Amino acid sequence: MFDSELHERKNSAGVSRRRFVQAAGVAGITTSLAGCTGGSGGSGGVVVSADQVMADASDSIISALREAGLDTDIEVEIVQEDFQTDSRRQTYTSALDAGRASPDLFMMDSGWTIPFIVREQLTNLEEELSSDIIDRVRGDYLSASVATAESPDSGDLYGVPIFPDYPVMHYRKDLVEAAGYNPDGNDWATTPVSWQEFSQIAADARDEGDVEYGFTTQAAAYEGLSCCTFNETMSSFGGAYFGGRDNLFGPVGDRPVTVEEEPVIETLRMMRALMYGSDDPEAADGYQQIAPSSIVQWTEEDARGPFTDGNAAFHRNWPYAISNNVEAFGEDFDVMPLPYGVEESESQYDGLGGSRAALGGWHLTLNPNSQQTEDAIQVLEAWTSNEVMLAIFENVGNLPPIPGVLDGLTEDDVGPIARFIPTLQYVADRAVPRPVTDLWPNQSALVYQEVHDAYTQTKTPTEAMGQLATDLEESDTR
Amino acid sequence: MATDHTNSPVDSGTDSGGVLSPVFTWMENLSEAAYAYLLLIPGFLLLALVAFYPLLSTLRMSLLADQTRGAEPLGGFVGLENYMNVLTGETRLSRQLIDVALTTEFPFIELGTPFFRQALFVTLAFAILSVIFETAIGFGQAMVLDQEFKGRRWVRVAIIIPWAIPIVIQGMLFFLLFQPTVGFGSGLMQALGIFGDNPLASSSDSFIIVLVADIWKTSAFMALLILAGLQSVDRSLYDVAKVAGATPWQRFKMITLPIVMPALIVAMLFRTMDAMRVYGIIESTAGCSTVPSMTCMVIDGLFGGTRIYGTAAAVAFLTAALIGVFIAVYLAKFRDSDGGFA
Repeated sequence: MFDSELHERKNSAGVSRRRFVQAAGVAGITTSLAGCTGGSGGSGGVVVSADQVMADASDSIISALREAGLDTDIEVEIVQEDFQTDSRRQTYTSALDAGRASPDLFMMDSGWTIPFIVREQLTNLEEELSSDIIDRVRGDYLSASVATAESPDSGDLYGVPIFPDYPVMHYRKDLVEAAGYNPDGNDWATTPVSWQEFSQIAADARDEGDVEYGFTTQAAAYEGLSCCTFNETMSSFGGAYFGGRDNLFGPVGDRPVTVEEEPVIETLRMMRALMYGSDDPEAADGYQQIAPSSIVQWTEEDARGPFTDGNAAFHRNWPYAISNNVEAFGEDFDVMPLPYGVEESESQYDGLGGSRAALGGWHLTLNPNSQQTEDAIQVLEAWTSNEVMLAIFENVGNLPPIPGVLDGLTEDDVGPIARFIPTLQYVADRAVPRPVTDLWPNQSALVYQEVHDAYTQTKTPTEAMGQLATDLEESDTR
Repeated sequence: MATDHTNSPVDSGTDSGGVLSPVFTWMENLSEAAYAYLLLIPGFLLLALVAFYPLLSTLRMSLLADQTRGAEPLGGFVGLENYMNVLTGETRLSRQLIDVALTTEFPFIELGTPFFRQALFVTLAFAILSVIFETAIGFGQAMVLDQEFKGRRWVRVAIIIPWAIPIVIQGMLFFLLFQPTVGFGSGLMQALGIFGDNPLASSSDSFIIVLVADIWKTSAFMALLILAGLQSVDRSLYDVAKVAGATPWQRFKMITLPIVMPALIVAMLFRTMDAMRVYGIIESTAGCSTVPSMTCMVIDGLFGGTRIYGTAAAVAFLTAALIGVFIAVYLAKFRDSDGGFA
């Protein structure tokens, strides 16, 4: 009975089980095959992954590349990746881990190019670029920048710096002059003042000009604190994370941890004084209270807001902010090098002390999975030309990796930024890179957590640096 | 070659299954139920693959050594070392999972780092507090929505709106609220004496901000699920209870709660699972450094820039295991509540 019922149903369905399974199987296999073969098409041109401002200036960059002799047969496409450095690093990590062929060239932060190099995820340019180009990069480029694009083990070049980045002190000339100072007469553009003098000037300018803040900077718990704002201030006092500039890129585990030294502690005490004034028992003597404590939750744009809105006299930021501030204040706006903690001659380590700026900036690196390495190399070589550097400086405002390229430029050539060229060139020579190794991204977090705790009065400078020294030593030797 | 094959009268004839023919014969003779299961097998396999492959793959990764340098992302087999390191804090993660020491004096436990900087405590505290508040508030909202009143539709919309706002936007709202130059949140809370000067820079203040942000958003979700339970309550039961002289509290306790319980437990289960994985609302307000949750640690290990995939996998697996424990408790509770009327 059961059998007959079954047959009846089968007949009514019109399709036998056998047919159904066969059909389903075939359909499944075809679909999966289609899935495997589809989607491998490419546009054919060399794809450069960059940020939004570079992508926006894509036309002028490409025509500069052509001017520099790039073959017209080679199509170039500059695509926009996330502007935020962390997200960009994550995207590139995924792309390289997955072995994707596109993009052909990556625009990588000098702060995290070395981790990719030591993970053997980038093409060694030593064998790819012509020797002329290699010589140009090694000979003429800002050497501190190039160092962050080389393998710390072999010294081979893995990236071509496309622009360095270093901060300057942005300030309101009108307020300072009203407070009785003479920036032009004292040549502030290329003569740094000490942090003590600076705090007095900022306090006077604030009080005289009746603005809310004397000084705004970035001190949130983020990479920018450890790589940059704290690093450069500490460097200006002659302090370092790992004992001077020789140990910046290693050897990991075989270098001293020097965050407990006097200059580092002094830097924290000074920042406490700038934020909390003499009420803070840990504050250093001789400084005026000039910065709001809110800087502990500010990054670049949070700190720029009050300055561009006219509520602050001084502001530490990267050159990208110059155009906004020129727009807001015109001739009343000027820049100067960051103040110094101790004279260079007083620093225990070479190349520290004096006015120091954190070195940021970006490199172009080559994807080892690229399907058009030769074309990509040509693009990379053309990118090292003066034409491209100037096109980027004019259209994007990013500094050329060869500071001398700016010599003799006037406002007619590059617009209002021209009057800041002396300061920008002065600072370029005094830029200090962060200590990038494969461990730096993690060590950076350890640094900003402890520095931030000292800034927020959660810990005393000595406690925070004691903890940091332990953390960094463990991290280096683990 | 292929044409040869198809031209052969033997192959293309009745016996097209070839070697598979006994299989087809066996299949034809299966019972209806057995055949149904047979057809479901590929589906189950796919489900198993999707559900268990990532879990097993994570487990495998968590047993391999970290490699911060070199082309290979993972090193050799190290057994449970990554787990030991995560639990003892000897990792390259920027915050610790747990950092306590035992002492001889009351309360016998000493915190190595502040409570709200230990990912395990942050995660547990967040999950427990947010679920309690969201359940209570959600229940209240559901009771209101269950009433018949004029403008009920608008109240429903008002209650559901926070749930419809994307996490990042919501995070941004709370971030700006507590940004001293922008929002009024910092000033208000300082005036009340609850927060310090810079709440987004303080772990405990930020924990409260994250907690409130989550409660604000997700109570609506609880309300909807509980409302579904409430609407299945037979109204006549209340009439009977009223006639019998039951107080409103008694009606709630004896009728509403037991009937809603299965729906409530399912809702709480979902919320707990979600809360244990909290990440987005933290990242978009105070940041993972200030309020580290367990998922924050996984992200830190995977995408932090220093390649520690083994450690990240260990934290991920621990998170999954912890969630598993919570689910087990809920499921036991669900069974006791009869999962309805069974």
